Amino acid sequence: MLKLAVYGKGGIGKSTTTSNLAAAFSALGKRVIQIGCDPKADSTINLLGGQPLQPVMDYMREFDEEPDSIEQISKIGFGGVLCIETGGPTPGLGCAGRGIISTFALLDELDLFEEYRPDVVLYDVLGDVVCGGFAAPIREGYAEKVLIVTSGEKMALYAANNIKTAVDNFEDRGYASVGGIILNRRNVENEREKVEAFAEEHGLEIIADIPRSQDIIHYEDQGKTVIEGDPELEISKIYMDLAKRLLEADESAEN
Amino acid sequence: MKQVAALISTYSSDEFGVCSALYELGGMVVMHDASGCNSTYTTHDEPRWYDMDSMIYISAISEMEAIMGDDEKLINDITETAAELHPKFIAVVGAPIPYMIGTDFQAIAEILEHKTGVPCFGFEANGMDHYTRGISMALEAIVDRFALTGKENSASAAYDSSADGAAPREARSGAVVNLLGATPLDFSLNGSIESIEIWLEKNGFKTGASIAMGCSLEDISRAGEADLNLVLSYGGLAAARLLEKRFGTPYVVGIPVGAEFAAHLAGRMRGAIETGKSLSSYMDIPAPEEGGAGWIAAVGESVYQASVAAAAAMEQGVDIRVLCPLDTDDMLMRPQDRLTPEEDDIMEAIKEEGCRGFMADPMYRPLLPQGLTFYALPHEAFSGRIYDSVNPNLIDRPLAESLYDFRK
Repeated sequence: MLKLAVYGKGGIGKSTTTSNLAAAFSALGKRVIQIGCDPKADSTINLLGGQPLQPVMDYMREFDEEPDSIEQISKIGFGGVLCIETGGPTPGLGCAGRGIISTFALLDELDLFEEYRPDVVLYDVLGDVVCGGFAAPIREGYAEKVLIVTSGEKMALYAANNIKTAVDNFEDRGYASVGGIILNRRNVENEREKVEAFAEEHGLEIIADIPRSQDIIHYEDQGKTVIEGDPELEISKIYMDLAKRLLEADESAEN
Repeated sequence: MKQVAALISTYSSDEFGVCSALYELGGMVVMHDASGCNSTYTTHDEPRWYDMDSMIYISAISEMEAIMGDDEKLINDITETAAELHPKFIAVVGAPIPYMIGTDFQAIAEILEHKTGVPCFGFEANGMDHYTRGISMALEAIVDRFALTGKENSASAAYDSSADGAAPREARSGAVVNLLGATPLDFSLNGSIESIEIWLEKNGFKTGASIAMGCSLEDISRAGEADLNLVLSYGGLAAARLLEKRFGTPYVVGIPVGAEFAAHLAGRMRGAIETGKSLSSYMDIPAPEEGGAGWIAAVGESVYQASVAAAAAMEQGVDIRVLCPLDTDDMLMRPQDRLTPEEDDIMEAIKEEGCRGFMADPMYRPLLPQGLTFYALPHEAFSGRIYDSVNPNLIDRPLAESLYDFRK
């Protein structure tokens, strides 16, 4: 099972990247789960035709009890991707990090992986590892690799550096390690060079270089990923290629 | 209302369960909790505290340590102390504060084990779940880690079998039986566990490991060699299932309360050893005909109360139905038993038509509706040591003598 957590600065394109990867994996015949770990709960919206999904925390708030089946807190999206959103507390109250941990514990209790038997699990995580809860997706048993999404912008690289440092701090805990950088271009001057310099400094590899694309915006306006909208587009092929390489790397690691 | 106890006390939490289950095993138990009031689950309210040493520590987590997520201090303190004490294992146990900040106890245990070379466990207790969960997670983890070798032959090896298999098997003397789920929280220190061991001997069995009262870690390491596991409470069920999966050892659920049910249980245990199939011993005892007499509600731990109910049905023809407010399992509940997680659920159940009596810990008495008879049966996990002196030992003796004649 390939288990990936996608981290990066807020607004950098994590959900777009994660959803397109999920769609690409499913197009390659894999059973996929995408879990949005952000109180905004919009990670999976472009796999669901633009329709929001009731997050786990909202379910708990509405029914004042835990769900007793996965179906109550999930929807099947494009390509059969099982979509789940942790959601979060009422803004300004409670503890969003604890919400993520509780959601993960609940998914364990509901035997999510045993019941659904996914080939790929994608965790789309809030911009930064701000507290223990936001490190939950990289704990033992969850994601094995962290993908950092960044552009060449200074603040995006700053966030990427924080994420790398946080993951390195957990080295002795058996947590996930960083599997590579996804360069999501914002058309910054010397963008590739800047991200390459960051990658080299941290001993990381740029595993995908995604150009800024109007096609992504066009299909997101329709509640779709580009893989769903037009798999023949160049941008779609980039996501497909990344998905294939991630699967190959996982298979060779298992062997 | 949900999670509201307006009239009654609350059960001991999962922290109590972990501490109680590990108390006698020679490990160092570290509660990662703020200092103050921990004696309720670790020391002064632990009935063995006065006569038996145990290495139980509190980390005394501070506000700043919680804010900063400073696990290093905890890890260093434990490493330093363990170097002096040489515990057989280390257990780091959660509490509400680390629960809220998402402390990763599994990761801390992994780091500690690497640093100390001592087997380490991380238990994510939170102070909000019931003690039953704490016992269950502690016993399952300990058995998983230490019970690694099984018996050489199959479970039926404890019994002679004829060469051609035509003649019935006869019980060979000395089939070894582990007791799983024994803690003072369910059995007090009233001699019940010792009585169960005597009853085993009387029925031709040998006691293996009595997990976890009156046994050592070495006994647990040989738990896989037993012929049968007797599950005495919900807290022992997960460990029994693990041993069944690992070694094929069958388990039987039930406590030998009363005289007739104790004999029935012994028979079911022999049967399980012969067939290798696990079962609940009280499932096949039919509920007595009501006959206008009505039924009695019994609140408490599911295995304990269902065993009492089975004994009452056999000896007195009395219909006792279990109301379980604690963790349990389908295998532990008879069709007439039900879950009653809230105080309101219990109040509604005992007001139902036909309910003529209410058996529970004395601290449940405020719920008693007019016209119902109250049968007190102290439960340490509910009322602590208050009723220790009157907490009866029901093992292998007629209920009318040890508890009540419910027909009167």
